[in-house]
Parts: sequence; structure tokens; C-alpha cells
Amino acid sequence: MVKNVIPVSYSEALDLLNERPFKIIAGGTDLMVQRRSWAQTPPKFSEDVLYIFNLEELKYIKEVDGYIVIGSTTPVEDVLKNKLTPNLLKAAISIMASPALRNMATIAGNIGNASPAGDTLPILYTLDAIIVLESIEGIRELPIKDVITGPGKHIIKQNEIIKELKLPISVFTNSAFEKVGGRKADAISKVSFTGAVNIKDNKVLDFRIAFGAVSATILRRKDLEEKYVGLTKDELIGKVDEIVADYDPFVRPIDDQRSNKEYRKTVALNLLRNFIETL
Amino acid sequence: MKDITTSVLKIDNEEKSKGSAIYVSDITIPGMYYAKTVRSTISKGKIQKITLPEMPENYTIVDYKDIPGKNIVRIIFEDQKIFAEDEVTYYGEPIMLVVGPDKLIIEELVKQIKIEYIEETPVFEYVNSAINYNFKKGDAKSAFENADKVIKYDYVTGYQEQLYIEPQGMVVDIEGDKVTLTGSLQCPYYVKNAVLSALDAKDSEVRVIQAVVGGAFGGKEEFPSLTTTQLAVAAKKIGKPIKMIYEREEDMEVTTKRHPSKINMEAAISKDKEILAFRANVGLDAGANIGLSGVVLSRALIACTGAYTIDDIEVNGDVFLTNTVPNGAYRGFGAPQMLFAVEMFMHHIAKEIDCDPLKLRLRYLSKQGDATSTQGTFNDPIIMNDMIKKAMKESDYKAKKIKYAKEDVYKGIGMSWFLHGCGFTGSGESTHINALVKLRKDKNDKVHILIAAVDMGQGIRTTMMKIVSQVLDIPLEQTVYDLPNTDLVPDSGPTVASRTIMIVGGLVARAAKQLKENWTPGEELTVSERYKQPEYIKWDEDNFVGDAYPAYSWGVNIVEVEVCPVTYQVTLQHVWSVYDVGKAIDERIIMGQADGGIMQGIGYGYLEVMNSKDGRIQQKNVTDYIIPTSVDSPPLDTYLMDNPYPLGPYGAKGAGELTLVGGAPAVALAIEEAIGKKIHKIPVTPEYIMELMKNGKN
Amino acid sequence: MAKIKFKLNNKEIEIDENPNLRLLDVLRDKFEFTGVKEGCGEGECGACAVLINNDIVNSCIVPLGNVNGKEIMTIEGYSETKKYDVIKDAYAEEGAVQCGFCTPGMIIASESLLNKNPHPTEEEIRVGLSGNLCRCTGYNMIVKAVKSAAKKGDGLW
Repeated sequence: MVKNVIPVSYSEALDLLNERPFKIIAGGTDLMVQRRSWAQTPPKFSEDVLYIFNLEELKYIKEVDGYIVIGSTTPVEDVLKNKLTPNLLKAAISIMASPALRNMATIAGNIGNASPAGDTLPILYTLDAIIVLESIEGIRELPIKDVITGPGKHIIKQNEIIKELKLPISVFTNSAFEKVGGRKADAISKVSFTGAVNIKDNKVLDFRIAFGAVSATILRRKDLEEKYVGLTKDELIGKVDEIVADYDPFVRPIDDQRSNKEYRKTVALNLLRNFIETL
Repeated sequence: MKDITTSVLKIDNEEKSKGSAIYVSDITIPGMYYAKTVRSTISKGKIQKITLPEMPENYTIVDYKDIPGKNIVRIIFEDQKIFAEDEVTYYGEPIMLVVGPDKLIIEELVKQIKIEYIEETPVFEYVNSAINYNFKKGDAKSAFENADKVIKYDYVTGYQEQLYIEPQGMVVDIEGDKVTLTGSLQCPYYVKNAVLSALDAKDSEVRVIQAVVGGAFGGKEEFPSLTTTQLAVAAKKIGKPIKMIYEREEDMEVTTKRHPSKINMEAAISKDKEILAFRANVGLDAGANIGLSGVVLSRALIACTGAYTIDDIEVNGDVFLTNTVPNGAYRGFGAPQMLFAVEMFMHHIAKEIDCDPLKLRLRYLSKQGDATSTQGTFNDPIIMNDMIKKAMKESDYKAKKIKYAKEDVYKGIGMSWFLHGCGFTGSGESTHINALVKLRKDKNDKVHILIAAVDMGQGIRTTMMKIVSQVLDIPLEQTVYDLPNTDLVPDSGPTVASRTIMIVGGLVARAAKQLKENWTPGEELTVSERYKQPEYIKWDEDNFVGDAYPAYSWGVNIVEVEVCPVTYQVTLQHVWSVYDVGKAIDERIIMGQADGGIMQGIGYGYLEVMNSKDGRIQQKNVTDYIIPTSVDSPPLDTYLMDNPYPLGPYGAKGAGELTLVGGAPAVALAIEEAIGKKIHKIPVTPEYIMELMKNGKN
Repeated sequence: MAKIKFKLNNKEIEIDENPNLRLLDVLRDKFEFTGVKEGCGEGECGACAVLINNDIVNSCIVPLGNVNGKEIMTIEGYSETKKYDVIKDAYAEEGAVQCGFCTPGMIIASESLLNKNPHPTEEEIRVGLSGNLCRCTGYNMIVKAVKSAAKKGDGLW
């Protein structure tokens, strides 16, 4: 017999998770669609469900020791409005889905759902987000790339909950987020691009590139980025062909009902080229 | 008396705004059962064996063996089965219903039903022609023989899904021998006749009532005849009321859509750059049934010269059967495909012969008195020249055209010209429909409008009440127009083909005059009017000769776009439209039709992608099938011209479809200009734009 | 089953129900509200929009378990307010209502927008309504209606 629980506190949620497996629902904007069933009948969950959306203890945005820390059940609309939120993340949220969705969706949900087209994920990869997982046994802090392992796949344990995410405060002189969807709002990404650069005294101190929906997980290559650190801005722009060529083999999108791989690849590389050329 | 065009508030604003209007999904009947359809999971084959689970008490299946009458959905061409028998011809074809009181149990039962097939090779190509029409005007053959040059291009159009926001749905109730069907539908009498045939019932045993309809656009023209016959058969079998509301995915996978098409155009060009003749060859993908496809093809073929007069033409068209979901009515009904091809072709000819497209098009623009494509006559004044001037002025067309011609500017402005024949094609009004309308004045001098026309959002209730109140010079509140119930209203025909204001409204106005002449306060009186074909209209259906329509509405659309050279995405900047719909019965209502129509037409042209892969629709929900949101839609400016049509009520002609049919070519031409490459296919998606910018021809 | 408490159109409600149920089904089937409609069932069309704590949400993807302790307002409750009258009249005067299936959701979206931004620009209106699909109007008259409501209802929001 399925037993669904609405915990009254975060500690109750952790206790319950330790007792038996649950499917955790935050805003439900992805899960309720994935599990939907015939109208007037409840969505199909074969497992017990734990409703954590209303745990006020997990709704916060604060600055702690050089990190912006976002509680996992904070609706993205609140993240968008908060002045601590990094601009890149704001850019992604502001064109995510629709106002109604933004009032329910959470960034933790984007992580738990682990879709390569998840709107906030390229930003979280770019910002080197750290995911804080908690269970009754303690806390684990992992970089996002180690949490998400494939489409819909992650390493979060049955008894763990995404408590919060920590975004190291970073400085960028130029940054851009581009989402290419089927239409201008209320759309799923065909491809998305994030670029962030910090240039100081005509020297590239930091260079970060991420793509969404072009591979099984978000594409970010620190090995490639490091090649271009230390250049002057003009040198960087001059190497645009090389940069595009570097990323080319890793941009491996698929055909689906929303677009095709030729388009996704061309546009992903166009966005990269355009970002560098207009620095 | 006020000019009838002056707008009034629509009579159903209040109930719709606060959510108290009753749509079919809002209807519950005590003891009501639910139904779910079991469908084919292959594209073509024989049903070898069906294994049913043990059915609990009160649960039953309903299939073709339960049909008392014919296993055919009675519409125009009778080839669609209510339930598949021993073979299936498309993925999603209905095989049976599972009916019972609890949805969870029904779902469980549906899962347990096992159907074994012997699969056959399905056909998805345009090879199996079920209908061929062809006709000629003048002598195209010798024109092509004597031509200095022949220009040929192919044009391709995709599916378009109506995407009414309210999915299809029906409720059936049964009391004794009487079956009542209430639902979301455009044509109460299509449904009634289909159900009569399926049940082999007496006329008095079937009643159809319209629920408030949440959008239709042709999608609820013939399709509801299928679901209602299924439910009526089920209700007869089990004697219970039953409700069946489609899920969005089901609706998108199995209901009718706009026919994809392939159109080949040829023009014979003389030495002095004159267009001597046209050849058009049109293929429509009907899906697995013919249904309305023949009529859709007729309308497409008749539109083969668009808003132009070409003296010598040869036209050939086929309806091809494929093992895919049957296609059917969608606002425009064959014309959007053809008008896209014609407008692109005129531009491509101009490019090919190095001539200013505007000048070339103006030279062939139809005038009053010209022969139509079917050798009929444009009897009424054509004011397209004024309309074009107006649209060009409002949009600053000429200046923008020059500005955007530069190579590094990814902006474009496109203009389409078009016409739409009002009412049924040919003699359909007199031979198939023969509309009858009634007005009944009750003892309190309230006038009841008794017609089967359905308000699906286009405001026809308000429009008809306005006509009656204007003729009788009584307040709007003194007229009554309830949702049609076939026990109470005569068959005034289906709510389709831009016929309702012009044809039904015309009859209503005449009936109102009759009532006025015989008006005695406090006395009951019923008057009726039946359609009579105007004497001067002659139509030879077999040869496509004569007046295909009693009247034509005309339009000009201008669309301005910007294309992003990095992502190939199109941004709509602004849209201007000028229409001649004769006379607007209510300006605001017509403007609303104009806004919605043009956005559907533009969406068809650049945004809305639906394709079928191995016989299965790929875009099955509103996430994957993209229609414009408020952010995608630009400001829309519309201008209406007064050009009253003598036989329409207060001069009104058709309006509903006209506003859609020019959208696709206008946006495609704007994109063509922005990227400087010829466009041959809609929708003009970013994927296609990328291809063109890489490899397209100038 | 779980005990769930919430405020619905200003009335305290406590029900013992499966928290997996869609809020949409609860509102339609248990409370018989017809103004909350199902258009897509996946949170994309906005026909099922309601306000939770004054913000728009799509009730077809809200599990009942998530509304514990919240204040829900449907069009049925909202239509008792003065703000509704202003919006409804503006919709009527601009011709923003056609088939009506999107209309209650569209009005809820208008309220949610004006509540946060009483004087929106055209661009902001379009963004505010971007989660509510309409196939009849091309949005033109709806956008005009929201503009007009903001003006006529100045001071209400």
C-alpha cells in the first residue's frame, strides 16, 4: 500500500527517508507531467511520495563564506527576484517555462530530474555549483558534474535529500546565456549556451563555456577552458576558429521531435563563435 | 438606427469570464459511465486475434459487432469505419471502447486487452491516389508549346493541428429509445445524421445538443461524428449515460489535421515576360480515409491562381491515401496550401524573369468581370487595388523593402494577396445542404433564433442576434439564441466554410423581415426561410466549370520579420492586414476573427511543426507542437473595407477563413527576403532556414 | 491518504485525500468548479490556472500534497472581487473573449501580473501571459484588455 507523506519538518523528512524509499516531490512541475495519468485519476507513482515543497526550512537564499547558498525548495521565481542571485542564473530563470511554472519549479527539481535540456543546469555547471546532499548519516558536498551522470540519472542515494546548492561567488566581465527553444516562451530548449569570461588588465583570468541539450549531460570541458586562460582579449578573439574546433567533437546532439542534430550542432557552435567574437 | 457594424458586447462574455459556461467536460449525469478507446498499435495489418480479460460486472467492451446500423461514419465520403473490423489502416485507429463506471478499472482493463496482428507493409508515400480531379481553362497546352521559357517549382506544406484549447469530448445520455448526444461540435446535424445511420434509428430517437465549444477551427467539423457514433452505439448496448473526453495526447495523435501537400507549379513565359499559362499539380495526403479530402482538394484546386487572373490553366490534383491518421477540415480547407504555393510561385517567377514582383503581380491581379479559374465570373466589385495601397501605406512597405534588400540586413517584409470563396464549393449549398432557418416570436414578443449554427468562439450568437434585432428594430435582449438542440432547431447546415454569416445570416435576415411584416404584438408566430441558389450561379461539378462560389472575400497581409543569423530564429515584428468581408456585422467580432486567423496562418507558415514518422505523429502535446504564445505574437493592425455584397445580410460576406489563408505566404515571403534565399516549404523553421542559408538558392 | 488543510476562495478547508491527486481534479470533481479547465494536462496551456498565495500556478501539475497550508483562489472566488470586474469589463470591451476556454486562466494570469506589476508595459504584459495559450485571439485584444484594465483599475493593485 502506497503511503504518501507530507512531513512537517526537514528532520522528519530525513527520518522518513532513512526508514524506507520515497520519491521526493518538490514543485512537481516535471514529475507530475512524467507520471500523469488519465484525467480525474491520480498520477502514477509506484513508490511512496514525500512532499517537501512546503518545508519552509529549505526556502532561503543567503551569502555564506564566498558562496551564494540556495535552499532546495525555493521556487525559481523567488530565486529570480533575489538580489543575491548571480546574473547568469537570473538570465536562465527569466526565460524558463512560464510564470505559472516558475512559481512552482525549483532548481533542486532541475537537478533531480537531470534532463540535459534542464534550463538552469548549464548555468549551474558554469558556476561550478556544489550540491549539498543530506541524510541522517550526514552531509555530502559534490560538484554538480559528479551528481548528474546521464539523462535522468544521478547519484543521489535513497536516503538523501538535496538540501541546498552552493554557488561560489565569481566575477565575470562578460557573460551570456542563450536558450534556443521552439518559441520565445514556454518552450523546452533545443540547445542552450552559457559563456562566462573574466578579463582583467587585458588578461583572460577565467574562461568558461557550457552547452545544454547537445550531449547526454551538460557539456563543459575544463581542459579546453584552461588552454585559453592567460591570453589577452584580442588573442582569445583571434583564436575563435580554434576554440570552435576544440568544442566541435564534443557537441554530439540527437534528432528528436523538437529539432535535429545538424541544427543543434550548428547553432551551438554559432553561439560559441558569436560569444567570443563579440567579447 | 445605428450602423450595424458598431460593436456590441458579446452575450456570452460574462459566463465565459467567470468560468460558469458549461463545456462538455463540465457535464455530469448521475450514474454516468466513462469510455476509453482501444486503438491500433500498428499502421497496417489484419487483426488476427483479440484476447479480452475477464470483464468485471458493469464493465464492457463495445466494438463493430454492437453497431445496429452501418459501420460507417456518415459524412461526405463514406469510407471511415466507426470501429475497425478485421483490418487496421493507421496507428491509432479505434477498435473498441472499454466502458464502465470507474476510470482506474477501465485503464487496467485496457492494458490487459491483447490484440495480435498480421502486419502488412504500410504506405506513407504519395502513390495511392483515391481521387483525381482535373480541369482546364483556355488552352494551356499550346501556351506551353509556344512558351519562350517554362518555369517550374515544387512547394511542400506540412501538417497543421487545430489545437483548440478544449480537447474533443462528448457525453451521451439515453432514456428509453431516445439517445441524446451533447458535446463539443461544429455541426449538430452532421452528428445527428451519422448517429441515425449507425443506430439505424428513427429520426425522433436521436437528439444532438451543442455544449459551449472551446474552439474548433474545423477540427470539430467531421471528427465528432466518429466519437458520437461510438458513444451512441455504446449507450444503446448498456443503457447508461457515458462521457468520453479526449486527453490532449490522444486528441493530437488521432484527430484530423490539415492535409500535408506537395504542389508542383509550372508557368509558361513569353519572350516579353508575360505569364501565358499555369499548370498546377496538387497532391494531398489524406491519411487512411478519404473523408472530406475530395472537397478539400476541390477548394485547393479552384484557388490555383490565387488572387490573379491567368487565362490559360491546366489543373490536376490527387487525394492520396496513406497509412496515417486521417486528415480533414481545418479553417481554410485546402486554400492555405494552394495560396502558399501560388504566392511563392509568383515571386519566384518574378525573380526568374528579373522583374519587380509587385509590378508582375499587379499586372495579373483579378478585376471585376474577370473569369475565375473555373470560367465563372467575378461578378462583384474587387477593391484589391485600394486594399493593397492601404496595407502598403500603413506598413511603410516600399521604404522597408528598399532598406531590407541589403545583404547584411536580416530583416524582411512580405506581402500576400488572396481571396476566399464564401460558402460551400459549387452547388453544395443547394444540393447538399438546403439550409432551413426559423424564427419564433413568443407571446412575450421575444424572438427565438432557431438555427443549427454553433458559436465556437467566433461570436455567431451575438452576430445573429444583432441581425435580428436590427431588422426588427428591437433591443438585442429581446432576441434569444440558445445553444442548438436538433429537437428544437431546423437544419441550417454545418458551421463551416465561412458560410454562417453570409448564407445562414442572410436567411435569418429574410426571416426577420417576414416576421416584421406579420408582426402582431402578443401573438405567437413562427416564420421560416429556405436557401435558394441565386439564378445567375451555374456550376458544373463534374468539369469544374462555372461559379464555384456565390461570392469571394479578399485580403492583403503584410508581415515584417527579423531573422537571427546565429540561431536562425524568426522574430515577428508587426503584421498589417486589410480585408474586404463585404460589411462587418460587428466590427470588434470581425477584428477578433482577423487577429486569431492571421496568427494561425502565420504559425502555419513559420512555427508549427508536426510530422509523422513510421505512421505516428511525433508532436503529441502542446510542449512539442509549438503554437505562438503572447510573446511570439506581434502587434496586429487590421483594417476593414466596406464593399457590401448585395446578397449577404447587410452586405456581409464570409470572414472566418479568409483571415488565415494569407498568413503563411506573407511570413514566408518576409523570411525569404530577410535571408535572400528562395523558400519552397512551410513551416519555415529555424532548421530549414539554416539549410537555406548554407545551401539555398537566391 | 493524508489530512490536508488549505484556504479555498477564503474558506478554510480540511480534507482527507490522496496527496497525489492533481489540484485540478480536486477543484473540479470535489468542489465542482467549472472555471478551472483542463487543456493539456502538462502545465503548458494555463487553462487550469489558479492563484496560490496570490501567484499563478497551473493546477494540473500541482499535487494536492503541495497546497497544505496555502491559500488557493480560483476564478470562482476571484470573480467576487472588484479587481475581477475591472479585468472582466476590459476583456469584454476589447473583445478578448472568444471561445472562452482559456479566459478564466487568462484572467488569473492578468491578476497575477497586475498584482506584482500594476503598470506593466506591453512587453511585460506579453511575458506575464506567456504561459496561457489562446488559439482564437492571437493575443492582440487580450494584451489590449490588460493594458486597459491597468489603466481603469489604477489604484486597485
